[in-house]
Amino acid sequence: MVPIGTSQYSTFLEGLKAGGYDLTFGPPKSEGPVVIKVDAPNFVHVPQARNLGKDITPQSIVQLLSRKTNVLVALPTKQSPLHPLAAEFSLVLPPPSTPLISYSPKRDTPSTLLPIKVEDHSSPALTKHIEPVWFSGIPASLGSNPLLVPILRAPSESFASETTVTSGSADAVADSVERGGEGLWAGSSLSLATGFQATNGARITFVGGAEIFSDELAQKETERHRQSGNAAFSREVAAWTFQENLVLRIDKVEHHLVNATEPNEQYTNNDQVVFSTYISKWNPTKGKWEPYSGLKDLQLEFTMLDPFIRTSLPPVRGAPGKYSTSFRAPDRHGVFKFVVDYKRKGWTSLESSTTVPVVPPRHDGYPRFLSAAWPYYTGAISTSVAFFLFSTIWLAGEVNERKRSKGSKAE
Amino acid sequence: MFFRSFGLLLLAAAAQASILTLKSPRFVVSDSIGTQLRAEPISLEHRTASPVKLGGRDTLKLTFQVVEKEDGKGVQPHQTFLRFYDEVTGEEGIQPIRVASNGKAKFDLNPSKPPLSLPPTPKTASGEVNPLQLTLLIGSPEHEPLSIRLFDLVLPPSQPAPVHPDEIKFHLQEELFHTFRPDQKVPNKFISLVFSGIALAPWVVLLGLWSQVAPAPTNLLSPFILPFILSLGAFETLLFTYWVKLKLFDVLLYGAGLGLVTIFTGRQALASISAQRKD
Repeated sequence: MVPIGTSQYSTFLEGLKAGGYDLTFGPPKSEGPVVIKVDAPNFVHVPQARNLGKDITPQSIVQLLSRKTNVLVALPTKQSPLHPLAAEFSLVLPPPSTPLISYSPKRDTPSTLLPIKVEDHSSPALTKHIEPVWFSGIPASLGSNPLLVPILRAPSESFASETTVTSGSADAVADSVERGGEGLWAGSSLSLATGFQATNGARITFVGGAEIFSDELAQKETERHRQSGNAAFSREVAAWTFQENLVLRIDKVEHHLVNATEPNEQYTNNDQVVFSTYISKWNPTKGKWEPYSGLKDLQLEFTMLDPFIRTSLPPVRGAPGKYSTSFRAPDRHGVFKFVVDYKRKGWTSLESSTTVPVVPPRHDGYPRFLSAAWPYYTGAISTSVAFFLFSTIWLAGEVNERKRSKGSKAE
Repeated sequence: MFFRSFGLLLLAAAAQASILTLKSPRFVVSDSIGTQLRAEPISLEHRTASPVKLGGRDTLKLTFQVVEKEDGKGVQPHQTFLRFYDEVTGEEGIQPIRVASNGKAKFDLNPSKPPLSLPPTPKTASGEVNPLQLTLLIGSPEHEPLSIRLFDLVLPPSQPAPVHPDEIKFHLQEELFHTFRPDQKVPNKFISLVFSGIALAPWVVLLGLWSQVAPAPTNLLSPFILPFILSLGAFETLLFTYWVKLKLFDVLLYGAGLGLVTIFTGRQALASISAQRKD
């Protein structure tokens, strides 16, 4: 939903439409339950409107997230209901009306509009090289929550303050770090666009200002007479937020003994067990899930209350998307779980847990025919053989012999 | 023409006036008593080569004055920051410095009362502490921005940065292995062979004595005796097979059938022997 000044963002919105999204525009003060009625994983773009609609509250947005709807939020410089929402996600925002200012590099735009160089691989959400972007808005200081994915960091020379035109002054800046001051938002630890990957897979991104998506900045040149990377940046942010990039899922999980193909209902101590999982990644250009063998650090845990075994699950050559490993079932019997728990910044988290009992060997599951028992085997077998031979000889022998001995006695 | 050149001069002056510089930048390291351990001016052309080491109770005092390059007039810039940067971990801290309206500034750093913005300096694996790069960032709306790399600072070791408890799940975790019970030890095979030999020793005696005493098996192939002998052999074979691979109920099944056969063959055999005896 984008209200006022839609034409300012036409490049961004056209890009979204070209990516196959349907766009709905709603005026800011609409009373209709536009936001809550979505059931399918749609997206909602909440812009920096002065007076947001009655149904855009922090609670409604959190509810959207819990329904796996992805949200992209642009924060206004003035205080708004979206500020406490950002605080819920461990984003500490500066006081109202303190936009990000930078006096370097020397340029002819006002200090509130600054170019930012985007390093390759600086954020997992940015998968392409991005030219320097123009930014205007507020920064945020990040908490230590590992679910946060910083996308764009502020340059070291920037800080948040009222401009000298309004009421900013050097003394105010120095006062802010004294006791009782509200602190100074400054430096490269600030994040201007931050994503948050919720545990249910929904993504929400807070961008410090909506101007970064505007046409004007998309066409503005950065210093080397090259077009800014704003359009590419907006596209990448939208792609990450709306679940196009870095989206994984587990298709199937299977386990069996080393030489078998069907899963066992239960395993015995010291069995060699093979565990495999099939993982796909969403391909946005083709619009379907494709097997993905690029995870290098997938791990499997064989757990009963605590992990007994943790091994790596390497991809299998020749089988795209398949990761497999084999290991020896522990000595302890009990109910174990095969746990795959893969969480990386920027990627959807993969979780899978398969319960399987491990029993001690049955009475005839132990090793047999041990070399230590050879004396006993020979003893028992020779007893049987001796009995058989004796009965054969007794039955087959001449009766006369006995009769003769009896006869001699009678005489 | 005079006015034009005057105008150009003014323009040039204005352009020049927008560049800032520092006048007499200095740093002094003094210990808790007050003796100066190190006092040097800071050069704007090249960085102070040796890093400044600060003990737990020492104080670092930084003094300078921000002036315009052209006429030396003191300036109070909007932004005068001291940036601490740890190159190895990427931690950064920004500390604003209070500058008076005439441009004079001084900043004290005492590790026993550290400013909140100071990044953590934990001990690394090698036991050393990473040096912090100090940079002075000066920004003002009317002037060009200024960024001066000062010396490197080595602080006493501190606690590491706090880490969220879930953070470990987001990286590769260490592998766990289960310690299995060691395999059962079996004694030497030679010993087993020797004792098997001892178990077979009575055969020598038995076969020796039998060769003296046993009657010749003349009736072996008679149709009365042979079936019974074969049944006995079958029973022995059944028991051996049970030991090797059969289960209990299988062997009971076979045993029941074989037993029935053996009853008849046995009766036949014994009847024939008793008949022979009556002769």
